[in-house]
Amino acid sequence: MKTPTLRDIERLSAFLDGQLSRAEAARLESRVKTEPELAAALDDLRQARAVLRRTPQRRAPRNFTLTPKMAGIRPPVPRAAPVLSWASAVAMLFFVCTLGTNLLGRLSFGAAAPMMAAAPVGAGGGYGGGPADTNATQPPASLESALPGTATPEAPPYQAPEPTTTTPGMGGAEGYSTPAPETRAMPPETTGAKRAGPVNPWPYVWLGLAAVLIGSAMLVRWAGKRAFRRKASQKQKP
Amino acid sequence: MEIREWIWIQPPHYTRRRGRGFWGKISLMDEPALIRDAQHGDLDAFNSLVLAYQDTVFNTALRILSDEDLAADASQEAFLSAFRALNSYRGGSFRAWLLRTVTNACYDELRRKKRRPTTPLEPDRDDGEEVESPRWLADPSASPEQQLEREELEHAIQHCLDALPADFRTVVVLADIQGLDYTEVARAARVPLGTIKSRLARARLRLRECLQAFRELLPAAFRLEKESGL
Repeated sequence: MKTPTLRDIERLSAFLDGQLSRAEAARLESRVKTEPELAAALDDLRQARAVLRRTPQRRAPRNFTLTPKMAGIRPPVPRAAPVLSWASAVAMLFFVCTLGTNLLGRLSFGAAAPMMAAAPVGAGGGYGGGPADTNATQPPASLESALPGTATPEAPPYQAPEPTTTTPGMGGAEGYSTPAPETRAMPPETTGAKRAGPVNPWPYVWLGLAAVLIGSAMLVRWAGKRAFRRKASQKQKP
Repeated sequence: MEIREWIWIQPPHYTRRRGRGFWGKISLMDEPALIRDAQHGDLDAFNSLVLAYQDTVFNTALRILSDEDLAADASQEAFLSAFRALNSYRGGSFRAWLLRTVTNACYDELRRKKRRPTTPLEPDRDDGEEVESPRWLADPSASPEQQLEREELEHAIQHCLDALPADFRTVVVLADIQGLDYTEVARAARVPLGTIKSRLARARLRLRECLQAFRELLPAAFRLEKESGL
């Protein structure tokens, strides 16, 4: 009794699968006919292979199809994307322009500011001829005029024309102190005229354009995503 | 692209339960066109391929891993990897290429399993014993006898496959159960052709010894082979 070697088993296995050359196969077949152990081994291998080939095939427990999310596929880019991809850049440009025009506008207003700032705080608010708070603390002019002969106690240092105090002959009941008309009336009118000057419309135009651009870009993107989702859900339906 | 018609289907390894063939409605798909479309990112085309090969891929994973849940995970992972690496497919048998992908996924799963061993959850009977072949896996079209015979055969084969080292098991599953040729198995397992021949011969021998223990359980299968002779 000669037990087949491992090499013989390998050859028999390859012979079963038709992997031997003709010459090798013929040599092995002649050996199998003369050696019963080799024939038995070949029979064993064939049986094992036959049983394995009968292995029941199971059905997959579920479908293994991939979803766009699993596959990492993003929604398709809308056609307007190349144009709208510049929207953010253009919006930024508009923003810079808006900021620039605003700053320039402020600088031009700021030219008058030094004059306002040059006036001492304690001396009063600008051209008014006296501090606003002093006006509030001052006694009423009617009381002052009630005392005949008294001058206004503290006049602003640069208030050139003295306020004329009229002393009526009727006891001063109708007396009033009239401030210097050119110092009191004119300055507020001039500052008011400067502040209510022509409004610069460009910042609002730029801002509006930027808002419209960004809004349209978002709208197109949203519409594209919605269409993609609708298409995907229709495909998943049987 | 997809044509469905009734044809006589001859399975590669017919089973006694099914007979030598059967009438079935199958999808005749243009596989090269689907692969080409899938390579251009067409997910629908790839999913058609998935539906065509998912049973093959799942059964391969099931025989290697011996666990249905792990096999399902490995199959899903294999299809995902296949979609991502589809551009590396350069022709040849797409089935063999897919089986190579699932073999890699199974090896990954086996390595993970070795690191974190788990206990399978089997449903219990009333007496507390585990049911090895759950009823919900049964094929309703088969008679109880056929179902029992099928389960016994499957159990015996799986038991013997589990006794093999993973490398041997993979080679046997690819060559004898899935019917790949030696070159395709060598490519899938990434080992030389000579190693495949050696592993397959040894694995068959071990399986034969193991299956002899189930001879009483599998009388019909063995009797047929004895009758067929050389």
